[in-house]
Formats: sequence, C-alpha cells, structure tokens
Amino acid sequence: MSSTLLISILSMAVLYAVSVLYGAVGEIFAEKAGVMNLGLEGIMLMGAVSGYLVAVNQKNLGLAMLTVVLVGAVLGLIFAFLTITLQADQTVAGMAMLTFSTGMSGFIGKSVSGVNANLAFEAISIPGLCRIPILGPVLFQQNILVYLMYFIIPLSVFYINHTRPGMILRALGENPAALDSAGYNVFALRYAYVVFGSVMTAVGGAFVSLAYTNFWSDGMTSGKGWIAFALVVFSSWNPLTAVFGGLLFGAISAIGVDIQTLFPAIPSQIFATLPYIATIIALVFTTGNFRNRRSAAPAALTIPYDREKR
Amino acid sequence: MRMKTRMISLCAIAGMTALSLAGCSEAAVSGNSSAASESTSEAASSSENAVSAGSAAVSTVATSGGSSASGINQIPEETEEASAENVDFSSFKIGEIESYVVNDGGWCQATHNSILSAMNDLGIPEDNLITLESIDDTDQASVKEAAEQLVDQGCNLIIGASTGYSSYLPEIAEKNPDVIFAQWGNKVDGLVGYEIRSYEGMFLAGYACELLSQDQNTELGYSASYNEFSVRTAINAYALGAKYANADAKVKVASAASWYDIDKETQCAQSLIDSGIKYMGMEASSPAIPETCEKNGAFVVGYHNDMSSLAPKAVLVSFEWNFAPIFKSIITRTAEKTATPDDFYYWGGDCSRLSDFADFVPEDVVQKVTDLKSKLESGEVQVYAGELKDNQGNVLVKEGQVMSDEDIIQQNFFVDNVETSWTVQ
Repeated sequence: MSSTLLISILSMAVLYAVSVLYGAVGEIFAEKAGVMNLGLEGIMLMGAVSGYLVAVNQKNLGLAMLTVVLVGAVLGLIFAFLTITLQADQTVAGMAMLTFSTGMSGFIGKSVSGVNANLAFEAISIPGLCRIPILGPVLFQQNILVYLMYFIIPLSVFYINHTRPGMILRALGENPAALDSAGYNVFALRYAYVVFGSVMTAVGGAFVSLAYTNFWSDGMTSGKGWIAFALVVFSSWNPLTAVFGGLLFGAISAIGVDIQTLFPAIPSQIFATLPYIATIIALVFTTGNFRNRRSAAPAALTIPYDREKR
Repeated sequence: MRMKTRMISLCAIAGMTALSLAGCSEAAVSGNSSAASESTSEAASSSENAVSAGSAAVSTVATSGGSSASGINQIPEETEEASAENVDFSSFKIGEIESYVVNDGGWCQATHNSILSAMNDLGIPEDNLITLESIDDTDQASVKEAAEQLVDQGCNLIIGASTGYSSYLPEIAEKNPDVIFAQWGNKVDGLVGYEIRSYEGMFLAGYACELLSQDQNTELGYSASYNEFSVRTAINAYALGAKYANADAKVKVASAASWYDIDKETQCAQSLIDSGIKYMGMEASSPAIPETCEKNGAFVVGYHNDMSSLAPKAVLVSFEWNFAPIFKSIITRTAEKTATPDDFYYWGGDCSRLSDFADFVPEDVVQKVTDLKSKLESGEVQVYAGELKDNQGNVLVKEGQVMSDEDIIQQNFFVDNVETSWTVQ
C-alpha cells in the first residue's frame, strides 16, 4: 500500500470519525446524566442547516457557529423540558424530537438547498507537525473543528473520570436519589447535560455542512446521528473508545472503496460487507459475556427522576 | 398530579409531532413561485428516480419493442412546434408530482426547470403550474391524494416525475379521461411515457475528458452509485466516448453502493484521484464528488444539472437532463386534444445535453465536442456501433451493425474499456 493511499484512507477515517464524535461525546454526557436522546439525527440536521443558512446569508462562520450553538441549546431545552420536567418517556420524546427536527430542517433549509455558500472551515496545516511522515498529513492538515476534537476527547475523559463534577455526573446516571439527598439539584444538572449534549450534536451537524462538505441538502447527514448514537453503546460510554470506533468505521468505509479501484477483479459486494463485519466484531467486543464485567450503561438511564418516589 | 403531568407531556409530544408534520406538509404542497436555483447540490431521491427509470425502461421496451402490438405511439423527435402558435394556453394548467423538493439540485430540479422552460416557451403563466413536492412514490395513499387534488384543481396535464407513481396513476387516469397523465420512464397503459437518450450526452462527456487527459496519459475515472441499468448506461457511454477519442482509453469505476452518501461519494472520488486519475465522470447524488475534485486539483463532469457553481475549478461541463422539448410537445398535444395515453417519447439531442464548458477548457476541445455532437445528431456517429465488445470479451454488436434500443436501455453489460469490480448477471 502506497503512503499516498494510506494517508488518504486515514484522513478520511479522521474526518468521518469527527463527524460522528461530536454527537457521540455529547450523548455520552447526556446518558451519563441518565437521559437518552434518540433524536441525534434530527438535531444534527438542525445544526447543519442553521449553520449553513447563516453562512450563506451572513458570510460569517463565527456567527454561523454561534447560531448552531443556540439552536442546539434550544432543542436541548425542549427535550429536557419534555423528559426531565414533564417526565415523558425518553424513547417517545426522542422520536418526537427526531421527527420534529428532521422535518423542520428540511423546511427552513429550502431556501439554501442547492445554494453554494462558498464559506467553509478550510484545512489548516500545523507548522512542523504536518511534516511528520504519514501522521502529519493525516492529523495536522485538518480543519479547526477537527483540532477542537483533539482537545475535547482528553478533556471529556478527564472530566468524567477524574474530577468532582465528573463524579457527580456519573452519580446522576447511577443514583440520582442519592445525589438529591446530598443536596444537589438533579433537575438542573440533568438539564445542563442534556443541553450540552444537544449543542455538541448540533455542532457535529455543522461540521458536516460547513467542514466535511460545503452544501446543504435535506437529510444530508444520512444516518450519522444514528451512528453517533450507536457509538455511545459501542464505546461503553467512554469518549476515548468512541474515537476508536469512529476511526474504525471511517477506515473500513474508505478501504472498501479503495480496494475497488486497486483490485477491480474482486466483486464489489465483498467490500460492501466490510462495515457489517466490523459492526459484528465491535458488538462482540463491547457486549460479549467474556468481558466478565457488568454493563457500563448508567443504572438510571431513561428513568425519569421523581422526588416523590425516592 | 402525576396524571396531569403525563397529559402535559403527551400533549407536548403531540404538539411537536404536529409541528413537524406541518412543516413537512407545507413543504410538500408548495406553489411554483420558488423557481429552482441554478446552482446545485444533490439529493438522495433524485437518483432513485433515475434508477427506477432504468428498470422501468426495460418494461417500456418489453411492450414497445417492435414486436408488441400494444398500440404504443412513439412520438418522433422535432414535432408539434409549428402548431403551438395557434393554441391558447392561457387557461392551461399543469400539475407536477415530485418525490422530493424541486430545488434538490438533482433529478427533481431538472424536471421542474424543464417544465418551467417549456411553459415559458409556450407563453404559459408560471401560476398555471401546481407543484406537489415530497410525495413518496411508495405511499399509495399520498400519490392518489396528490393526483386527485391536481385533478380537482383543474389540471389539464399531470406529470409524475418518479417511476414509482406508475403503479397508482393509471387508476386515477382512467377515472379522468379528460386529463392527460405523463409518467417518467415506464410506459404503462393509460399514461403518456417519456424517456431520454442520456447516453448521447455522456458519450460527449467521455470524449471531452479523454481529449483533456490524453496529454497526461492517465486513465479516466467514473464515480458511480449502484450497479443498475441507468448507471451502466452512463458509465458505458462515457467509456465509449473516451474510446472514440483514443482507442486505448480506459475508465476505472469506483462505486459508492448508495444513492446518496456523502462519505462514500467523497471516498470514491478520493480513491480514483489517489490511483492517479485526474478526470472523471459521475452518476451520483451529492456535490461531494466535485468538491473532492476541487480540493485535489482534479476535474469532473457534473451530473443532473449545471454543477459549475459548486466547484468552479473542477467542473469541466455538466450532463443535464433536459425534458423541456418533450414537455413542450406533451403540453401542445394535450392542449390540441391530440395527445393520447398511448404516446411515448424517447428523445435525445437537446434533451441529453451538456452545459456550457468551463472557461479553462481549451477552445479546440470544445470545438471537437461540438463537432462530434453534430455528427451524433446527423447519425454519422452511432454510440453503440459495432464492433462492440463487453469487458468479458463477448461481442455485443457485430461490425457494421448498431445496437437496438432495447439493448441500449437494458445495458446488461460493461463495454470492454471499463474496469470495474461490478459484475453483470
């Protein structure tokens, strides 16, 4: 395999991974807090369309991202109101969020469908680092949202596992009643993490429309929200493992196409099966009994917190 | 208290769902005021249409392929225009049913723009067009409701832009004999059928790419969606055009195995570029391929509509679906009361056209393509002329012969200069 091809595959894997990691990391925080949001795909679409709308009309990426954050926050607040305040079933509320956001994104994006923004997060080479063989072009010739993810992952891992707020977060998803007894406001904390998860997911959508590509079309995320959701389970609610999951799927997807052009004599159907084989392997490793340890799923996940039932 | 809370939450969810549906339905029933943008992005359903068109084409041939006596009236090209001057179109109403939004940058946009163009040529006010968008062609109730709504609103002609509608429209057509129903691809009883000889435009595209690529002695590429009739037509025509420019030309195919997947489409283009390819064709649904080409200094022939605004440094020219001449004929014949449900259109020429070439394409290349186009139109050059072999070494067309329309539409082969991991059953 030539170095050019290797760089190409790995670069595609990094871009693919980042496109799903924003949503996955955000959802890990929300689920660690005990709230499952099935509407990631719809929120990604809303992030993608709102950012692109502002990029087309205002020609300002900063303003576009600010809008994306606000849209994500509003959607997060709506979802939090439904599931935390009103204690709605999280699966049903998630599906409602998905339907609402998907339909709304298509509706508000009608005016920019097919319109070229000519404004995107361009790749920036990091001086010195980009010259490292193979890894330089793969890791250090990317756009700013990719670089941001390089910081988000270690910070997330550190926050969840090694800080006091992280400990409180874990308690939120494991035993909110105990946290309540200790004087913490379970509702406010869950609101905050649900909103944070939604904002991250919306930013992931904007990554698709303003960095990964530079256009908007209805439903353009093509299931990335669902993949982000699946990565949460695959990773056992661990952001670092989610990175490997994202890279694995990205690389396998890219290799499947590359092998076609390298070995045209081999039927393409074989390559089409690669992602599914990877899925089975990932499932075995993440959910197999041989791991001999309990599920990493938060104990209070999807269970609304009701003070009267403590 | 708890019951009250549950009621509130249920209401909230119902409200959100209703809002969502309202958004969808408003998008679905829109007028024609939003003329589609010329710049493009692609969308999933556009290719689905193209695809289903391909399979539908087979049934067309099966029923109209000469031996059938099913009463199909194949409309020859270049007809009807003269009589249009004597027809009053002021109250002529057209209904359009689309599976996606009309500014999708792809199939629906091409159809919608073609209808508007035909109306404009005939002097029909744009307000006389009623467009129903996002009508799922697998949803029988929606399709029937859409068609009946258009009939109720007094449409004289109803155009179904997705082949999936052909399962449900004949029933409505039968109940409304005064209304003409036109259906892309599939010639089924009761509906006017229309198709385009898309291979002509793709042949010219392949010819142009090979002329540009020859000096650099590189292979050509083709970024494709699924292994399906209409996609094979595009690939083969592109490869034959390349071969017309250079007998040794080869075309390498990368497949996304999806009708709409920005990851896979990006990877297809990137993979071809990594293997040394600088010029490629595409039959795909998003602007990811032109964007990837532009980032890598490669070049591509756009698809569906003029894609030059999306990647101005990469798009050499675009293959455009132009149904306007066909729609003009259907509208005229409908207004004159000469159209019948037996009519079938299979037109090429301007229907299967290329957009303007980019400024950076050398003038001599543009001229050569223009010359070849003239030869195609005059019949001096036939795209599927013998001797023609497939990539397994089998002779498809003998020397001195030309492939039949039936075989052209089915395209159950790859021509001998196509390199692909796809197989044809």
